[in-house]
Amino acid sequence: AAEPWPENAALYQQLKDEQILLSDNAASLAVQAFLQMCNLPIQVVCRANAEYMSPSGKVPFIHVGNQVVSELGPIVQFVKAKGHSLSDGLDEVQKAEMKAYMELVNNMLLTAELYLQWCDDVTVEEITHPRYGSPYPWPLNRILSYQKQWEVRRKMKAIGWAGKTLEQVLEDVDQCCQALSQRLGTQPYFFNKQPTELDALVFGHLFTILTTQLITDELSEKVKNYSNLTAFCRRIEQQYFEGHDKDSSAIAARSAKRSLLR
Amino acid sequence: MAAPMELSCWGGGWGLPSVHPESLTVMAYAKFSGAPLTVNTINNSWKAPKGDIPVLVSEDNVISQPAKILNFLRKQKYNADYELSAKQGADTLAYIALLEEKLLPALLHTFWIEAENYCSVTKPWFASRIAFPVSLYLPGKMSREALNRILLTKGGPPLYSLTEVEAQIYRDAKECLNLLSKRLGTSQFFFGDMPTTLDAFVFGFLAPIYKVCFPRVQLQEHLKQLPNLCRFCDDILTCYFRLSVSGHSPAGKDTADANLQKLTQLVNKESNLIEKMDDNLRKSPQHPPRKLTTLKLAAGGEESSPFNRLSP
Repeated sequence: AAEPWPENAALYQQLKDEQILLSDNAASLAVQAFLQMCNLPIQVVCRANAEYMSPSGKVPFIHVGNQVVSELGPIVQFVKAKGHSLSDGLDEVQKAEMKAYMELVNNMLLTAELYLQWCDDVTVEEITHPRYGSPYPWPLNRILSYQKQWEVRRKMKAIGWAGKTLEQVLEDVDQCCQALSQRLGTQPYFFNKQPTELDALVFGHLFTILTTQLITDELSEKVKNYSNLTAFCRRIEQQYFEGHDKDSSAIAARSAKRSLLR
Repeated sequence: MAAPMELSCWGGGWGLPSVHPESLTVMAYAKFSGAPLTVNTINNSWKAPKGDIPVLVSEDNVISQPAKILNFLRKQKYNADYELSAKQGADTLAYIALLEEKLLPALLHTFWIEAENYCSVTKPWFASRIAFPVSLYLPGKMSREALNRILLTKGGPPLYSLTEVEAQIYRDAKECLNLLSKRLGTSQFFFGDMPTTLDAFVFGFLAPIYKVCFPRVQLQEHLKQLPNLCRFCDDILTCYFRLSVSGHSPAGKDTADANLQKLTQLVNKESNLIEKMDDNLRKSPQHPPRKLTTLKLAAGGEESSPFNRLSP
């Protein structure tokens, strides 16, 4: 773990234009933002079977040297073992707060994204099913997306979200955004001057919600209600993503590509 | 606001007003905010409401999850959070999410999945409070739901067996307890001197771990190493639930004195009995004491084993 960060580190995600879904894009963007904040170079590689290559079944995952690590939590710990950390300057109470807010984002925002993608019938039919199975021929594309849908719906049922209506889910998103907005206040980052993994995670989710075109705009409207959150996203995008190569995912995501694609 | 409100929830034991974390959360919030709730503990009758417990019934409204019940109470102007700043309100939501993600799986596991705990404590307790024949089915269903929830949310690869998942969730729970302890520090409640929604949730989750006597207690032992969290639970129990840690009311020195009196009475009775036995033995030397005790033990053994076979 004492090896330096190699030049050819790669981050794997699904195909950007045709396949990747809202929640996976948010996770991938969060990891990219985190690595940019740590000043660690990473190349984004798009593969149709990224989900299956990942050791935990979730995207994104990074391939560094001869190790493969997936998901933001383990990646943060892995990077810390290599000697880079964004949260060392925080005291114990602030670290507890940071972990609590990261759980809030995972608990509410991520679950709401999954609900919208897989449990809202209109979105499922028109966006998710076509996108998820797009690299594969018929009937494999339908089988894979039905399988994934069944898995996600089981999980929703186990945690009690299956009985929620879309309005209730959007209200939860609003509550979560309100909490994040109040915590951020007028500061540039959540823990004042320096960004931490919490900033990366929030950026990943909010930016994706703001720039992804779904059936309706209700989800992005909820985020747009809070001007300090949109300013926060713009600030991080400008500081960490512009000025790098033009096909970085942040810029590319801005164009309305996730429209109703086949 | 004058409408009577009734809360149906699981009853108490081991010094707690309720053993069920969500019921305890709602009861604690009601005490903190001064809401006048009549609490109906579910007992062995058919009138028990089906569906999620706890359930609040007020006029025509039937509300079932703790978050929704607390929202309803706030709308009825029973608000424990009105002195909090916006940022503290946001912190509340974040810490509640932390509790649900990190502590709840281990809590569910300790109660419903750990075999010794489930068979010897949880199942008999719940079964005794549900009407027959639902009592044969409902505890098993609750246990299966708990296992399902843990496996679906925490059980994906790279954790491939239940023991690995268990190790991970207990690690997460212990870390969560440490974080809560650091956040609480030396203050009495999480946001100063008055208890709020967050205190209700933390109390609801911690008190069952702290008080219920299980055979397998790794989480309880970890909690006991964090004295500020233990003090937090005890304070709420004594101040808001009028129960001393021994489970009798009222709190304070009176109970200690009463207990001491009872103990001395018992000890006196025992010593009287022992004196009588000694006298009997001295009068009848052909009955050595050893035979008497073995007879008693055998009788005790025979009596207890049929009970063991009958209990589920």
